[in-house]
Formats: sequence, C-alpha cells, structure tokens
Amino acid sequence: MHIPDGFLDLKICSVTYVLTAVFWFFAFRKAKKVLTDKQIPLMAVLTAMFFAAQMMNYPIIGGTTAHLLGGPILAITLGPYGGLISMTIILLIQALFFGDGGITTFGANVWNMGVIGVFVPYIIWALFPKNKKGMILGAFIGAFIGDVLAAISAGLELGLSAKFLYGVSIAVPAMALHHSIMGVGEGIVTSIIIVILLKSRPDLLDLPKIAPNWLSK
Amino acid sequence: MENRKMIIFGIIISIIFVIVGCIWLSVSVETLDKIAEKFEATEISIWNPPLPDYALPGFEENVMLNISVGILFTLITFLVSFGVGKALGRKK
Repeated sequence: MHIPDGFLDLKICSVTYVLTAVFWFFAFRKAKKVLTDKQIPLMAVLTAMFFAAQMMNYPIIGGTTAHLLGGPILAITLGPYGGLISMTIILLIQALFFGDGGITTFGANVWNMGVIGVFVPYIIWALFPKNKKGMILGAFIGAFIGDVLAAISAGLELGLSAKFLYGVSIAVPAMALHHSIMGVGEGIVTSIIIVILLKSRPDLLDLPKIAPNWLSK
Repeated sequence: MENRKMIIFGIIISIIFVIVGCIWLSVSVETLDKIAEKFEATEISIWNPPLPDYALPGFEENVMLNISVGILFTLITFLVSFGVGKALGRKK
C-alpha cells in the first residue's frame, strides 16, 4: 500500500500532505500534553515491532502480496494520535532508507495508513463494550474495516490522479478486494495481541489514550 | 522491571518477524504495483535510498546481510520512537 513517487499527481500529493499535516499538528500537540513515561517504552516497542512486521509479505491473490499495517493495535494501545506518530516514524524510515513509499507521496501514505488505518479501527473499537468479548470483537472488526478503508483511500488517490489512464472505478475495487484479504489477517493478529495483553498486561490497555477530546474516555 | 521485560519481549518478537520476513516472506509484489503496471503509471525516483528494497546494493541475495539490515533498522526504529516519545513526553 506504499505509494511510490510518480504515481500521484501534484494536486493529490498536495491535498494529502495538507490533510495529514493537520492531523500531525494535533497529534504532536496532544502527545506533548498527555504522553507519560509509562507509554514511551510501549510506543517504542510497538513501533519497532510493526516496522519489522511490515517486512513480512504474505501471498494473497493474483500473484500479489500484502503485509500487516499495525495501525489498529497502535491506535488501541496508544490512542489514534499516538498511533499516527508511530506510523509516521515507520513510514518515514521506510521511505528515506529503503525507498518503500515515496517522498512526494509521503503525505498520502501517512493519510492512508497512519490516519485512516489508525482512526477507523480505534473509533470502531471504542464503540464496543469494554469486556473481554467486546474488546476482541471490536479489535477484529475495527482492524478489518480500517485496512479496507485505507486501501480504498489509496485506490481513490490513484484513481483521481492524472497519472493513471483509468479512474476510481477500477483502482478502488482492485485495492479493496486485495486488501480485504489482508484485513482479515490484520483483524486476527490484532485480536490475538489484545488477548495476550488482557492476559499478561491489562494495564497497558488502560493507559490514557493520545486521542482527540471527542474520542477520549 | 515490567517495562524492561516488555521491551525485551517486543524486540525478540520483532527479530523473529525480520527473520521470517527475510527468509520465507521476502517476495513483495504489491497490489499497487500490479495496478500501476496495468494503468501504465511509472515510478519516478526523486530520492535514492541507501538500501533499496531492504537490501544492500550488490548483496541482494545475501540473506544474512538482509536479516542484519532488518534487525539494525528495527533497533533504529525503536530508538527513534523512544527519542520522539522522550522529546514529546513529560515526566509525571
């Protein structure tokens, strides 16, 4: 889902950079206020873990591969703004050192994977009751829908870009179909991590979330 | 103590991910690239990354080196995140 340089036109790149910059502004401002010493090691471990997880490419359909994003679990544990900061670090390192995702498309990539892929799972997860079953189910459904919507967003950007010969009607279904398969995987992994946390470190799920006020407890 | 355990556990899991990613799940054919091919969109390189496709140029087939690069950058990611967290966070 990492869009390289050259796939999006200047208009799409600019719009996605601006939209993402708004979220960066609020995320860093909120993190300064609420990030505690207890959350910092968790944030660092999860960021490193999902940087590594993104190196695993699973075969899906049509000879293509996909990888986990990690946004859902980052959002559930740190809050959506915390997840956005983590995902920004991951995507920046990938773009600068490995050429995985472009520089001009960095705003779009963060928008897809760090905003949509983080906020959507968190909002859905927050709607579920906070008992064991609700948390696990909310994590699965949130992760699945978050992944699919992130892929649809990437498809929209590609479809609307003047660089492509065809439009949204081809780009969006292709991206959504392929990534819905990965969404199931993301859902399963996110649920498993929630189960592990509930058993071993439930306190990590109760840390204050780095989230907008309207999404905070 | 709890945090130390969590960090060690997390780093071990990350290293396992890197090893699995380099040995068994290293082939990357992104849906996006397939679609782009069909749409005749071409990648324009405006930045030359030092380690394109997660490998040292000239040593792309060296699995041990790829694993080392993966582990090194996993640790760098950890340190960068920790640093950003420390810079943003406040002592309670």
